[in-house]
Amino acid sequence: MRPIIETEVVVIGGGVTGVGVLRDLTLRGIKAVLVEQRDFVHGTSSRNHGLLHSGARYAVRDEEAAIESYRENLILKKTVPGSVEATGGIFAKVPEDNDDYVAKWVKACAKVGIPTKEIPVAEAIKQEPYLNKQVQAVYHVPDGAVDPFTLAIDVAADAITRGAKVLTYSEVVAINKKGSAVSSVTVSNRYTGEKTDIHTNLVINAAGPWGSQVAALAEVPLKLINNKGMLTVMNHRINKQVINRLRMPGDADIFVPAHNVTIFGTTGRNVESPEDFSLDRHELEQMLKEGEALVPGVTEMRMIRAFTGSRPLYQDTDDSDSSGRNVTRGLALLDHSTRDGLDGFITITGGKLTTFRYMAEKTVDLVCEKLGVNVACTTHEEPVSHRDAKQFFKETDIAPAAKTKLFHWAGKNAKEIETSLNNETEDKIVVCECEQITWAEIKAAMPDGRFNLTDIRRRTRLGMGPCQGTFCNQRVAALAVEKGLATQEEADWALRDAVTNRVKGMGVVATGETSKQLQMMETIYKVSLGLNEEGKSNV
Amino acid sequence: MHELSFHETTFEKCLKCNACTVSCPISNTTLDFGGPKHLGPELKRMMDHQEVIDDSRIELCTLCGTCDTSCPENVHVSTLTSYAKAIHAKEKGTKFRDIVLSNAELVGKLASTFAPITNMTMKIKPVRKVMQMVLGIHADRQFPSYEFSNFKRRYNKKHATTERKVAYFTGCYATYNAPDVAGSFIKVMEYNGIDVAIPEQKCCGVPMFANGQMKQGLKNAQFNTNSLLEYTRQGYDIVMTCTSCTSAFKKEYASYLKTEEAKELARHIYDADEYLRILNEEGELNTNFATINAKVGYYAPCHMKGQGIGNPAMDILELIPGFEIQDMAAGCCGQCGTFGFKEEKYPYSLELGKTMATAVEELDADYTVTECGMCKNQLDQLTNKQVKHPMQILKSAYEKVPVNS
Ligand SMILES: Cc1cc2nc3c(=O)[nH]c(=O)nc-3n(C[C@H](O)[C@H](O)[C@H](O)COP(=O)(O)OP(=O)(O)OC[C@H]3O[C@@H](n4cnc5c(N)ncnc54)[C@H](O)[C@@H]3O)c2cc1C
Ligand code: SF4
Ligand code: SF4
Ligand code: SF4
Repeated sequence: MRPIIETEVVVIGGGVTGVGVLRDLTLRGIKAVLVEQRDFVHGTSSRNHGLLHSGARYAVRDEEAAIESYRENLILKKTVPGSVEATGGIFAKVPEDNDDYVAKWVKACAKVGIPTKEIPVAEAIKQEPYLNKQVQAVYHVPDGAVDPFTLAIDVAADAITRGAKVLTYSEVVAINKKGSAVSSVTVSNRYTGEKTDIHTNLVINAAGPWGSQVAALAEVPLKLINNKGMLTVMNHRINKQVINRLRMPGDADIFVPAHNVTIFGTTGRNVESPEDFSLDRHELEQMLKEGEALVPGVTEMRMIRAFTGSRPLYQDTDDSDSSGRNVTRGLALLDHSTRDGLDGFITITGGKLTTFRYMAEKTVDLVCEKLGVNVACTTHEEPVSHRDAKQFFKETDIAPAAKTKLFHWAGKNAKEIETSLNNETEDKIVVCECEQITWAEIKAAMPDGRFNLTDIRRRTRLGMGPCQGTFCNQRVAALAVEKGLATQEEADWALRDAVTNRVKGMGVVATGETSKQLQMMETIYKVSLGLNEEGKSNV
Repeated sequence: MHELSFHETTFEKCLKCNACTVSCPISNTTLDFGGPKHLGPELKRMMDHQEVIDDSRIELCTLCGTCDTSCPENVHVSTLTSYAKAIHAKEKGTKFRDIVLSNAELVGKLASTFAPITNMTMKIKPVRKVMQMVLGIHADRQFPSYEFSNFKRRYNKKHATTERKVAYFTGCYATYNAPDVAGSFIKVMEYNGIDVAIPEQKCCGVPMFANGQMKQGLKNAQFNTNSLLEYTRQGYDIVMTCTSCTSAFKKEYASYLKTEEAKELARHIYDADEYLRILNEEGELNTNFATINAKVGYYAPCHMKGQGIGNPAMDILELIPGFEIQDMAAGCCGQCGTFGFKEEKYPYSLELGKTMATAVEELDADYTVTECGMCKNQLDQLTNKQVKHPMQILKSAYEKVPVNS
């Protein structure tokens, strides 16, 4: 007999949408289990720009999206403060862009209530030294930067402390029905192949770009356009605030700061498979060329890596638009009971990172209606715990840079990390120098389950710096074996897996320094550790 | 933004290879130092457009520049560490002691006015104990002595009339502590038929950079650049006898000031021995040296090594008949400018100097030769051999030539 879990609601997908739904359900007292085929934010939720939209980008073309974004922007700054950097943002008009749009945009923002403020060009250039000196008008907006990794992990953790259950590395392989209603889902453990049945009457499909596939398991037709966008990570943080191009939204017109780096992009191309993470050098070059308008010289700047993610865009009709930009980016909440005659199945898709909370609210409102629960949503007020930890580490003797990182990062783990730093000399080892991560932090953030460097990376930023894990991955793997947290085989596997992933992202940007960095990494791993080409990821 | 945010992008090229850290004399002596990679490119990357990080361990960096020389990617590591020093000085305030030490010129002027007294007081233990307590200058540390008849009082020519014209940037050490070195240089030039002018000048700024006094250092750099350019534009070559000064004009000025002027000036800067070597190559050097029968050890200062000009002092001194000179290849002396004067750095300084002291002892030469006054200070403290500047030796090699030969 397979193990069986009983619950009221199953949420499929550990992206921001799924964890948002999970938390909202839990806050309203509904028992729920979230299942994710790999780790949190495996999908689009970690493959995006990290822009906490002020809504200004949408003001002209999509009033509703603009209003939603601005409202959520204000809410998230309050409720997930540890994952948001209220950087502010600017919209800058470059000479080649249309003058008329500026006036239209200013008016549209005013109409929907998004505050904009013109700043003198000289002042803007002083604030952002990399900005094109030829810009003709600059406006300040309340954009922000959001860290999708900590966001999803903290929202999920909050739900878990309130009683929710999460199964990672658990892929939904079947959605089972009794008559015209859902009765259970079957998940398969990605490492062991072991299957578990989860009995439930209500399943929420929050599988992002995998949404059609999941719907297919329930034999429900669902047409999603997966619109793949490319992003590139600059080697360091070149801007203090978000830099947007003041024109009708297009490709390659946003620079978003993210801790020590800047993420620049993006593009949009429709793809078939949600697993299509392929990287095209030509696309990258086009993007960089376009980016020169805002940041001259960006083509020559060092990049760490590039990555792609797909926007799941819901389309009611069948005529496809290859740029994907004209399909609605608003949220789509589908009740398959009314739409397709299948009870107990709901899809939530589309939308944005910025509006994930609102998407969850709408979804759970529908769930409540179905379950006859009469509890109002509180996620717009109830905060998740802050990451700030400035009151800790006063006596801790570690590098100031590592301390600065902890001040903004340690959050709930602060006490535990502080104790271990103050008592164990080894815990003070800075295992990842680029991002200043100590072993104490790694220990505290290590998720249960199989040792996996990529999972650790999502929780700590391990290996996210310029060296892309050349030194730190092996340090962590070695320490984990030494401390009995992983077997030799597990550590070996994890190293291969992590290195393969990083090499892919570096390859496409590998010119100049990054190609040397890549060579160094490959040499170190191939020669000194005996890892070779077979080191392919097999999860 | 922090007023010390500065535009320096070479850190972008850092490959994290650690070559700088393994070659840094301080990293090799103590684990208390964060190392050039971390305190240079890594910190800079983490601070750009973010909050400033003050790491007090930067005090241990001596700005010797070895990291720059060892970096395969041409990262201006010591420019970055000098800014980390400036940030530290700004955040934590500068110790009165460091202001005193960074102001070699002021101290020099004051001390040489009272030279005989200064030299006495510097040696008296109770006074030194007070200095240690008040100023944090280690009581056992020997000081270079100050001369009453400082070089400015001895020689003050503003223009040269010969065809080859040299403008001499004297530097604080030769001005206040070792006017004999400056005097010897003038003489050596005289023997080569070259007139020497002394341009208006201020301390090169090296001790200021090293003590986080970036602003004052930059002011001096700007002053010197303006003053010396007036000379180079009239066809003067700028020559110096202090390798730290030379290195500042050749490397640091350009990367700190980032001006075309600084770059232009850098092309006209020569170390005295380097200059003589050029004269020799062009067949203009007066090689009429008297024989000096001596076996000496040469100690190469870090700031000379960092210039990438080979070993000009040895190349020139080897021309003296009978003169046997051997490179001791002994790493960093550990005095490192003002570093070794500081109470809390004294133990590191002595530790750093050990290799050098052992090398001197093992070679057992007649005396030691080095260009750097600060290295000399450490050599004086740690060894019992006399220490001479190459110019002093050359001068006597010329002087000892019989008049009629
Ligand atoms: C290039 C790009 C840039 C973007 N930039 C921004 C931005 O700056 N600001 C903003 O607000 N929004 C942005 N977005 C949009 C935003 O990223 C997405 O709207 C959001 O992340 C979608 O999250 P999700 O949870 O719905 O989907 P996902 O994050 O993809 O989550 C779906 C999850 O379901 C899991 N899953 C799939 N199938 C199964 C299965 N069978 N069993 C179990 N689990 C399964 C997947 O592994 C995945 O983790 C951007 C999107 C893209 C593509
Ligand atoms: S300047 Fe010298 S002491 Fe300072 S970091 Fe570089 S090598 Fe080390
Ligand atoms: S030697 Fe140069 S490239 Fe290597 S770590 Fe140091 S600064 Fe970086
Ligand atoms: S004192 Fe001499 S050896 Fe020490 S750093 Fe200065 S030049 Fe180098």
